[in-house]
Amino acid sequence: MTCSEVQRVLPEMMDGAPNNELQAHLEKCPACSDLVAELELISIEAHQLVESNEPSPRVWLAIAAELRSEGLIRDPEAKPGRPVLVPTERRRWNAWWLVPVAAALLVAASYVGMRKPATQIAEKPAVVAPANAPDLAAQSNQQKPAPQVAETKRPVPIDRSLDEPSVSAPVQVVSTEDRQFLDDVGQRSPRMKAEFESQLRAVNSYIRDAEAYLKQNPGDEDARQHVMAAYEQKAMLYQMALNHIQ
Amino acid sequence: MTDPKLAKTAEAEAIERAKQGDEAAFEVLYNLHKRRVYSLCLRMVSNPAQAEDLAQEAFLQLFRKVGTFRGESAFSTWLHRMTVNVVLMNLRKKGLPVVSLEETIETDEESPKKELGGPDLKLAGSLDRLQLQRAIEKLPPGYKTIFVLHDVEGFEHNEIATMVGCSIGNSKSQLHKARLKLRDYLKFMRAEKAEKQ
Repeated sequence: MTCSEVQRVLPEMMDGAPNNELQAHLEKCPACSDLVAELELISIEAHQLVESNEPSPRVWLAIAAELRSEGLIRDPEAKPGRPVLVPTERRRWNAWWLVPVAAALLVAASYVGMRKPATQIAEKPAVVAPANAPDLAAQSNQQKPAPQVAETKRPVPIDRSLDEPSVSAPVQVVSTEDRQFLDDVGQRSPRMKAEFESQLRAVNSYIRDAEAYLKQNPGDEDARQHVMAAYEQKAMLYQMALNHIQ
Repeated sequence: MTDPKLAKTAEAEAIERAKQGDEAAFEVLYNLHKRRVYSLCLRMVSNPAQAEDLAQEAFLQLFRKVGTFRGESAFSTWLHRMTVNVVLMNLRKKGLPVVSLEETIETDEESPKKELGGPDLKLAGSLDRLQLQRAIEKLPPGYKTIFVLHDVEGFEHNEIATMVGCSIGNSKSQLHKARLKLRDYLKFMRAEKAEKQ
């Protein structure tokens, strides 16, 4: 076997069964022998490459947010038989889904409106309102007019006091609607208030994660959908609580 | 060092809890495999941000199907294959060559006669792994794919051929050429380093 022949058969022989002819040539030819030894060394060392690289924390945040939006993560505090915070089925972002959401928003806003003087409502942002909810609800060919719940286009800042206790985290802009709603629920059903409060905490955390992700990825359509899904879940929570207490 | 049996048990429990929608279980599975998945993506695309996006997509695809996992094969094997498919699909979408289009043609370029002068890799007994990682990054995309899949990740040629859509012979040829290129890069790096000292 010549050196040229060795070059030709090496791709097949390198990782395969030993070849007597090749072995005989390698024993006599230092150049080919060194070549084979070095190629084997590269292969062995490559297999030992340590996975020292670690993804940034935003990867897990994005995965968790997406799993929640698809209903693959369930609220651990949800009791069997009660509506869970996150739907169990994976949902696609369909316009028709926003119809009950828009209706829930209308109910919630009406409830809040009954409790407040008109001047306060005009001054404060409305309850959670996905920016496009009225438009999409209108597009779904419903007979009801688009609900006038969105006083502003921006989502309401989260009531940080409902989040996990954090000594270092400053309290952000307070949402009076959450607090007022909790008090009203508590007056009618103290047991319901505790459950609602824990679910509200979870959904506020979800909203915070989704908004943080959107802030890092402002051009990401999926990030925007996550935020809308998060607010959608908050609207569902309000509706469930309302159904229970009325 | 973690007992492999304990680790397997913890993983199996996390899989069952993940099927029930337990967020902590998903996070356990993610933390168990994130380095392997991310490292594979990073070696294939050499771009950290892109590698993170691919790793995220691989985990999402896996978690969406966790309910169908029956335990017939290792979870890590399942995840591994899914990651490779995600990366290869991404490369195809971008129009990047997954496998070199070169035919298996013997050329003078790969003959020992064209050896670079410089330190003998074999005599050193071992390779500088950082240099090896840098050399891998420099490989052309087609060579890099085959090399990473075979020598780093441990796939067989028949598996690689199926994944990337080439023949087994082409896979072996590309691997050989990748190793030859790496040998040249490493000798060059070593010669450079020797000159500086």
